[in-house]
Amino acid sequence: MTDTDQPAFTDATRAGDPVIELEHVDKFFGTFQALKDINLKVGLQEVVVVIGPSGSGKSTMIRCINRLEEHDAGRIVVDGIELTADIRNIQEVRRETGMVFQQFNLFPHLSVMDNITLAPRQARRIPKKQAEQHAMELLERVQIPEQARKYPGQLSGGQQQRVAIARSLAMRPKVMLFDEPTSALDPEMIGEVLDVMKDLARGGMTMIVVTHEMGFAREVADRVVFMADAEIVEVGTPEHFFLDPQEARTKLFLSQIL
Amino acid sequence: MTTTTARPTAAPPPAVIWARRHLFRTPLDAALTVIFGALALYVAFRLARFVLVTARWDIIATNLKLLMVGNWDTVHLPRIAIALAVLTTLGGLIAGLIHARQVRRGTAVGMKLSPRRIGDLTRRFGLLVATVLLLLALTTTTGPWVMMAGVAVGGVLGRVVGGWLGRRRYRRSVAVAGVLAMALVPVALYRYLVDAVPLAEWEGFFFNITAAMAGIILCFPLGVLLALGRRSKLPLLRTMATVYIEIVRGSPLFVLLLLANVSLEFFVPPSIAPSKTVRAIVVFTIFTAAYLAEIVRGGLQSVPRGQEEAAKSLGLSPLTQMSRIVLPQALRNVIPAQIGQFISLFKDTTLAGLGLGILDMLTVSDAITQQPGFVGQRLIIETLTFTAFLFWVGSFTMSRESQRLERKLGVGTR
Ligand SMILES: Nc1ncnc2c1ncn2[C@@H]1O[C@H](COP(=O)(O)OP(=O)(O)O)[C@@H](O)[C@H]1O
Ligand SMILES: [Mg+2]
Repeated sequence: MTDTDQPAFTDATRAGDPVIELEHVDKFFGTFQALKDINLKVGLQEVVVVIGPSGSGKSTMIRCINRLEEHDAGRIVVDGIELTADIRNIQEVRRETGMVFQQFNLFPHLSVMDNITLAPRQARRIPKKQAEQHAMELLERVQIPEQARKYPGQLSGGQQQRVAIARSLAMRPKVMLFDEPTSALDPEMIGEVLDVMKDLARGGMTMIVVTHEMGFAREVADRVVFMADAEIVEVGTPEHFFLDPQEARTKLFLSQIL
Repeated sequence: MTTTTARPTAAPPPAVIWARRHLFRTPLDAALTVIFGALALYVAFRLARFVLVTARWDIIATNLKLLMVGNWDTVHLPRIAIALAVLTTLGGLIAGLIHARQVRRGTAVGMKLSPRRIGDLTRRFGLLVATVLLLLALTTTTGPWVMMAGVAVGGVLGRVVGGWLGRRRYRRSVAVAGVLAMALVPVALYRYLVDAVPLAEWEGFFFNITAAMAGIILCFPLGVLLALGRRSKLPLLRTMATVYIEIVRGSPLFVLLLLANVSLEFFVPPSIAPSKTVRAIVVFTIFTAAYLAEIVRGGLQSVPRGQEEAAKSLGLSPLTQMSRIVLPQALRNVIPAQIGQFISLFKDTTLAGLGLGILDMLTVSDAITQQPGFVGQRLIIETLTFTAFLFWVGSFTMSRESQRLERKLGVGTR
């Protein structure tokens, strides 16, 4: 990579303009290849659902997008910023990219309010009053404004995950990444988290969601990506996947989870 | 010893039932109960007889000032009294501010003096107060009484004023200025004290306490930095931290103190060589920091990886990730071990007497048995018992407070 490399595109402003671009991305853990020649473009306001068997590289792929993992080859560009070793680029991409984890990863020593306002205040230098006001709006959006003064340990799993979503949204990200956000939840709490995510999708958020909730995929996904053995095997609309999957591995996987 | 036997009645009293169930269930239980019960009673009896009847506490009473502050010039004793009273006032002020802040945030109950709160306060400070009263009972002058009255009034006053000041919020600049002012108070007190008596002449229990406090305050940042260094990605930093920790942990503290006593002249010209007291504090700091570093490292490892990843994913800077997310949780998780190390340091200050030739409390308690009126009467038992008792009170209070802190910060209730 040289300084003369131009980003593939400038800041996306219209629906459909590419916001995330992965080109020929490879990733190794030691000698084990976790991502093989991944190519994926995600447009503004697009919702992409990623499915695939355990260990196929779904988490690794989305973790490369905000540099929780470092890719070994290829290019990753997020909102016009190419991910290189440059720490400022990485910080910038992370601020534009929210991530929601399977285990919530809320900060247990901070109140819900502080969980949400910490990053805007520290990384974006937003004044406290303003940050708290925004946090309350977000808590209302995820339907738990009454929990602002509590600590994560005092909330149910579903509530914690909704706080985690609010925490990411507080940075006003352009893109949201979800890594199996409902897999650690009791069944009766899955719905409340999915509702928040559907609301976000309808509001025009660009999202990549790793999930096995096929109902969610059918309802809000623009595209579904099927991964297996570190590769993207098949990409298509939800209808395509439910009615007419092409690849043998896709068919096998869908027959197992549906 | 007398044993009371239960009279045969229809329904034995609950105490007897309890005793049968817990003390005399099997013949072996019964035998152990009798043997260890007798032993415990014997020890308790001998101890009580020693403390209350046979012990010659007049050696303590006569030398109380020497034990507490060594040869501190009597003219300057009021300075210690003033310093102590100011320090307690500051402590009360901080406690009041913290409590008021918790009340504001809805994470603490009110400040009303309820019976429960009185019970809690008694458990926290009862032992300290009892010890102070005991020491006062041994004194013959009014100075110490005035001092402790000042301490008590200062503490309560600080607590009340702090609770009152903390009720409202302040602008950032005001808050920062306040914190700075409070941090400057101990510095000012130090200047005030060394102005009268140089640090090198601080002796007795006063030396042990100040050396321990200085060591604790200084070793904390050093220990945290070493722990971070040991986890650093930079090989040079990591190696330096590791070498430091392993070398210091591999040396006996007493040897380090002896080395500080004799070897410093190799490196530093005698004219600017630091005093023995400074050397002692430096050795305590260096030594405890190495242990603290390992404790903090354990704490850092106990914080789940997901915490750092969440902090990263929000775009927080590496410094903020560490200072606001990982380190606070790491330090909380190892509070008992940290306080345990500080307690060790407090007790180990008694090694400075023999190691560096400082007149600390242990040295005084040995030296006074050689005084004309007391020599050759084996009064070392009295003086050592008294010394051990004071260190126990200090250690026990610290350990109690650590448990309280742990509970308050809600460790284990994530
Ligand atoms: N930090 C790591 N070190 C070594 N191997 C890893 C690491 N993270 C993931 N892997 C391996 O990479 C593969 C893909 O993992 P992952 O992306 O988590 O899969 P998925 O999310 O699809 O279940 C798995 O075989 C996993 O064992
Ligand atoms: Mg995964």
